[in-house]
Amino acid sequence: MTDRDDLLTLRKTELAALARAYGIPGRSKMNKTELVEAIIDHRLTLTGPEMDSRSAGTGPATGPDDGEVSFRSKGGAGQRRSRRGPGGRDADAPRIDATGADNAQAAPPGWDALFQFLDSTQSTARRTALRERHRAFFDFDRPCRWRSIEGHVCRLPSTVESANCALHGGLDIVDLALPVAGHLGFDTWPELVRHLALATYDVDPIGLDPVVAEMVWHLVNFLYFDYFRVEVTGVEHIPATGGAIVVANHGGGALPYDAFMLTSAIANEAAVPRRLRVIGTEVFDMLPWVSHMYRKSGGAYASRADADYLLSNERLLGVFPEGERGFMKPVWEAYEVQRFGRGGFVEMAEHHGVPIVPAAIVGAEETHPVVGVSETLAKLVRMVLPQQRVDKMAVVLNPIPLPVQFHIRFLPPVTPAGIETAADPLAVLERTEQIQQSIQTALDGMLRDRRSPFS
Amino acid sequence: MTGASTWVGGKLVALLEQRDDVTVFAADEIDPVVRFTSPFARLAMDRTELAYHLLDIAPDVVIHLLTVDRSIEMGSHRAREESIRGNQALLGAIGRSTTVRHVIVKSDASRYPSGPRNPSIMSESTKGSGTPSRYGREIADMERSVAAAAPHHPDVTYTVLRLAPIFGADIVNPVSSYLRLRVVPTRLGFDPRIHLIHQDDAVQAFVAALASAPAGAFNVATTGPLYLSRILRLGRRVAQPLPKRPFESALDALQRTGLHMPSHLPIMLQSGLVLDTEAMTGTLGFTPALNARQTVLAGYGRLPVGGSL
Repeated sequence: MTDRDDLLTLRKTELAALARAYGIPGRSKMNKTELVEAIIDHRLTLTGPEMDSRSAGTGPATGPDDGEVSFRSKGGAGQRRSRRGPGGRDADAPRIDATGADNAQAAPPGWDALFQFLDSTQSTARRTALRERHRAFFDFDRPCRWRSIEGHVCRLPSTVESANCALHGGLDIVDLALPVAGHLGFDTWPELVRHLALATYDVDPIGLDPVVAEMVWHLVNFLYFDYFRVEVTGVEHIPATGGAIVVANHGGGALPYDAFMLTSAIANEAAVPRRLRVIGTEVFDMLPWVSHMYRKSGGAYASRADADYLLSNERLLGVFPEGERGFMKPVWEAYEVQRFGRGGFVEMAEHHGVPIVPAAIVGAEETHPVVGVSETLAKLVRMVLPQQRVDKMAVVLNPIPLPVQFHIRFLPPVTPAGIETAADPLAVLERTEQIQQSIQTALDGMLRDRRSPFS
Repeated sequence: MTGASTWVGGKLVALLEQRDDVTVFAADEIDPVVRFTSPFARLAMDRTELAYHLLDIAPDVVIHLLTVDRSIEMGSHRAREESIRGNQALLGAIGRSTTVRHVIVKSDASRYPSGPRNPSIMSESTKGSGTPSRYGREIADMERSVAAAAPHHPDVTYTVLRLAPIFGADIVNPVSSYLRLRVVPTRLGFDPRIHLIHQDDAVQAFVAALASAPAGAFNVATTGPLYLSRILRLGRRVAQPLPKRPFESALDALQRTGLHMPSHLPIMLQSGLVLDTEAMTGTLGFTPALNARQTVLAGYGRLPVGGSL
């Protein structure tokens, strides 16, 4: 009972930090009492009633947690707690932080990995492999047979199974993420720009422009391979054909790097490289330059009609159901999956009978650590750009993203239960929560496994 | 057939009168721009004259092109009442007539509100959010009166064609005259998707509707949209990007020089307007002869005549 009393004297934020350290699922929705109960349960299941066995910091419970907890104690609740001094009532709780602090002094975790992004050996190897994979789709000896009505020729290589290039009907370029020029590289850009200027191809009704998308993809790959060194597991869960919804956690604060990395991960790593059409907030559509660049590079907007159109055309849909809640959460709540909307994506998947592939993304939260959400900043933005609908903005400290390493794990797909589920609000909510939970569990596991954000 | 004085109307009459099984009676307020031999009645569209004329000739099919008074696009308030009355009279006459079995009504894509809060693709059932322009409201009103009349006359098939902006060398409409400017003002930072239909394809859409006679509303446009920047580049036009206020002033200035620049144009040139053409190719059974790129080239007169498409 003393354990419970001790815990009850703590503030809720401190309990939340503890719960996070333990990796207790569903903690972001708990109130204080529930948190206390969950923490006690967790301790009991881990080590039995004798909590003292963990005090040395070498017990089985804290062992795998070490790296993570010590990293968090730098900016999170640990610091605040230690400022309060050696209060006797924190008999159990500070031990976790204490072990973390000890470790931090012994070997600063991950700081040696900070400059890992400068080493390009791995990224060069991955680029070469990607180039080889693309090569298999094209026949570089046969140029495309397409001619424009004014007599312009197409100099792109034709695809293996057709006489035309990927732009002019050689393959389903709206669905497949392949470089129309045969490989990604600045040497292909003059030809791409020529096609752009001559408008020699059709865009899809949502607005995907395969040439612009290829240029964006090429640029994003510098982040993907070199800067964020994205590590992907479970990409075999992405179906090779047919519609599917990829659901992921959201974070970042300044720029949605996770969306870029998720899209590139499927394009770069999947056996059948496909375009992920990410559904974004309609605020993007009001922002100059963003609005059409987003469309051209393959985005769609958060409306039922857009999602319906993409799924009925058997495209791959990317959804971040946390939206702004996840994107702007402060760094001390990092990787706590927020409420998943009203489960619109589950309804959509059941309606169209497509699987849902949950994806856990680790890394985005540390690119720009969010220290707060400001409405004043949003007001300033509105003063400069009066037509923009910006309610609040995340306050971030660094103008350029930190060189964190991204880890993306695709989880086994959730197969649709049937069209009746779409009409059952409770079943939809249950599925939504189940998916949220599976992403949270995967995130916790991935956080335990990583040594530091930079490696 | 009403609205025979426009290019599309005149071409449609000229095309239909070549068929042996068809006799065309054309009507409009002003003299036609395209020559045809069929009888032409010059009638005021806002009066009941048209209705009595219709009962006199007792047609099988009514093609109603002049659904909204031309002056409404110019912003006249008087015209609103009159076009409503004209439509009322015509629909009433169709109801009273014992011979009419098919009615084709020309509508317009401007009935869909454009803007950032709307779906990327407008299907026939999309309501859309945001306030439509005066012209758009007018069109929607007209369609509503057609939809209200339909259940009372089960023996009559009502087909509504919602045409994307018609683009062609002979066409005078807001989007065509905007795209044909030498230097085209555009919204800085925005590149809307524009969905067009070529003038010949617009005529053919009515012929297809005549043949298949499906009930309901159908979007009519090319199979895909094009970005405005691409359209201007294909037409070798110079785009002049302007911020919001100067852009709107530029359109106002154009309006003063005598071009139609209706109130729905600025938002459409920011967010674009794309129609869902699935029902067009499916139920209506119509596929445009020209794709988006060819439509633009043809509209600018750059399509080689007689060349293979």
